[in-house]
Amino acid sequence: MSLFVQSLILGILLGGLYALLASGLTLYFGVMRVVQIAHSAFLILAAYLAWFFATRTGLDALLSLVITVPLFFVVGVGLQRLLITRLKPATLTMMSVLLTFAIALIIEGMLGFVFTGVQRRIHFSYGSASVPLFGAEVPVVKLVAFALAVLALGALWLILKKTGFGQALRATIQNKEAAQLVGINTDRVASYGFGLGLATAAVGGTALAMDATIYPSLHWHWIGPLMAIIVVGGLGSVPGAAIAAMVLGISQSLLQIPLGTTWAQTVFYVALFVTLMVRPQGFFGGRLAQRF
Amino acid sequence: MRNASETLELERALTGARWLTAARVIALLALAAVLVVFPQTTKVGYLLSTGVVILNYAVTATGWNFMGGFTGYISLGHAAYFGLGAYGTGILVVKAGISPFLALALAALIVAVIAVPIGIAALRVRGASFVIVTIAFVLILLLMFQSMGSITGGSGGLSLPRPFPDLIRTDHHRTFYYIYLGLLAVMLLAWWAIDRSRFGMGLKAVREDEDKARSLGVPTTGAKLVAFILSAFFTGLGGGLYALWFGDLDPVFQFSIMMGAYMVLMALLGGVRSLFGPLLGALVVGMAIEFFKAQYGDTQFHLVATGLLLAVVVLFMPEGVIPAVKGLFARFGPQASSIREISAADLAAERDAEEASKP
Repeated sequence: MSLFVQSLILGILLGGLYALLASGLTLYFGVMRVVQIAHSAFLILAAYLAWFFATRTGLDALLSLVITVPLFFVVGVGLQRLLITRLKPATLTMMSVLLTFAIALIIEGMLGFVFTGVQRRIHFSYGSASVPLFGAEVPVVKLVAFALAVLALGALWLILKKTGFGQALRATIQNKEAAQLVGINTDRVASYGFGLGLATAAVGGTALAMDATIYPSLHWHWIGPLMAIIVVGGLGSVPGAAIAAMVLGISQSLLQIPLGTTWAQTVFYVALFVTLMVRPQGFFGGRLAQRF
Repeated sequence: MRNASETLELERALTGARWLTAARVIALLALAAVLVVFPQTTKVGYLLSTGVVILNYAVTATGWNFMGGFTGYISLGHAAYFGLGAYGTGILVVKAGISPFLALALAALIVAVIAVPIGIAALRVRGASFVIVTIAFVLILLLMFQSMGSITGGSGGLSLPRPFPDLIRTDHHRTFYYIYLGLLAVMLLAWWAIDRSRFGMGLKAVREDEDKARSLGVPTTGAKLVAFILSAFFTGLGGGLYALWFGDLDPVFQFSIMMGAYMVLMALLGGVRSLFGPLLGALVVGMAIEFFKAQYGDTQFHLVATGLLLAVVVLFMPEGVIPAVKGLFARFGPQASSIREISAADLAAERDAEEASKP
């Protein structure tokens, strides 16, 4: 029983992280109809930057967010302005997958160059501590990572719902032409939206690095689950992605008990194929999602 | 009536076209001759094995192009069919004791059968979701083949006996070089035949505008599925042949996303719309890959180089290198000035036809 509770709690914590990571992907797709394969490569980049910051300064790795979040925002805006907009609109979705795939390869290769392929781990003073929760022992780092994810998702929600920019962003997602008609500079909004998505990757990467060993090719392990989450949730639907992330994160964690870590990962792919057979547009996506 | 200058222009256009065809045929024959003669010119094992590797790239890229080129559906996960073909052949030879080339044919058929449900699922969505599904399929296979150690050898790998045990190494490479070349020729012939058929026209209509094609009565779903299965079958054949030639399989290399990325890069670089595009891309990229591997070893550099090259191709020449170079030359040549995009020769032919149809 305690094993079940433990797995359930860990699953919820994992699901929160997945939800944050998938929300960035949803933002890109919403504003630009772009699927960003490099999202998980940027996660690992952020994780490496956090590790580098922590080993160089001796400060808590979480403080690296002060640098990485604005940096990633700027990089995201630049990425959208300089590269994505150059693609032809007719083939944008397909070609953007290839372009961001190329970016992922470049990031992975550069990480291997600069930091070598050695596995790294960030050390925290509270790294080995754990707290009892409903009769289960939960590591503090996982709780902090979850708190970080929840904070970031909350901030994202506030930006989207309570600010003028968020309103413009949602208008751009819903109907670009109509947004232009009422005077929204959709190009600028789209590039800021892209930056916002990449900023979530900075937070997510740091949270991810808190209790994982990182190495350059780690992003392949994340891209599959994340892509499965956004397809299951329905491309472009933020609540859909969040719900799918929670459900799949908990399922993965619970399935680890009978199946072991490797086979438990296949739950994402099974969910992906079942979704395509039953409801190709995803469980929360509109009919539109099928076309991209 | 047609006046003298128009007749002259028509004749000139026709001779020009004839010259172009002749030049193409000659270039093609020259390329074929080089490919056929190459293994006879050297006894160096390394060169021969590099030749086989590059032909393997050409076979996989051309196999990819049955799907990617005709329908415009870009699969980043074709390594899955390569790996399934390789492992299928390997397992049939090692565990079931079937003779190598029968195992190869069986494995390719099995790959085609596996591609049916995958294709049905993947082709329910378009564009980005399709790419996601193809990537996911490679990742799931990698996981499965690594964990099913008792059948696949797991991470330890699977070793095959040589199909021709009495051949020395260079002859082994040379034999496989010609087998690969034969497979490539068959695939190019099949691609060419489809390209000219009604079926191929339907597939190309899907590429240009799927909704319009559907509304015009093209059976898009079935056509896409057939192209997908054919593509998987040929890629699986390439994989099985690789297993017989190389003799050592490892899930990390057979189900690698990089291999799928190479196929896409080669086909896009050479041009997905042309018959020899993927072959050209495979020659260029394959030689570059092998050169870098020989010079710098297996460093992270090839990731960065592949990424940069792919980005350049996607951004600046998504139609392939030939149209891109043509476009560059066209810039310096005479500009098309007429608003009506129709030549004098076409107009004359049209007028003649009109006059002939008059009572």
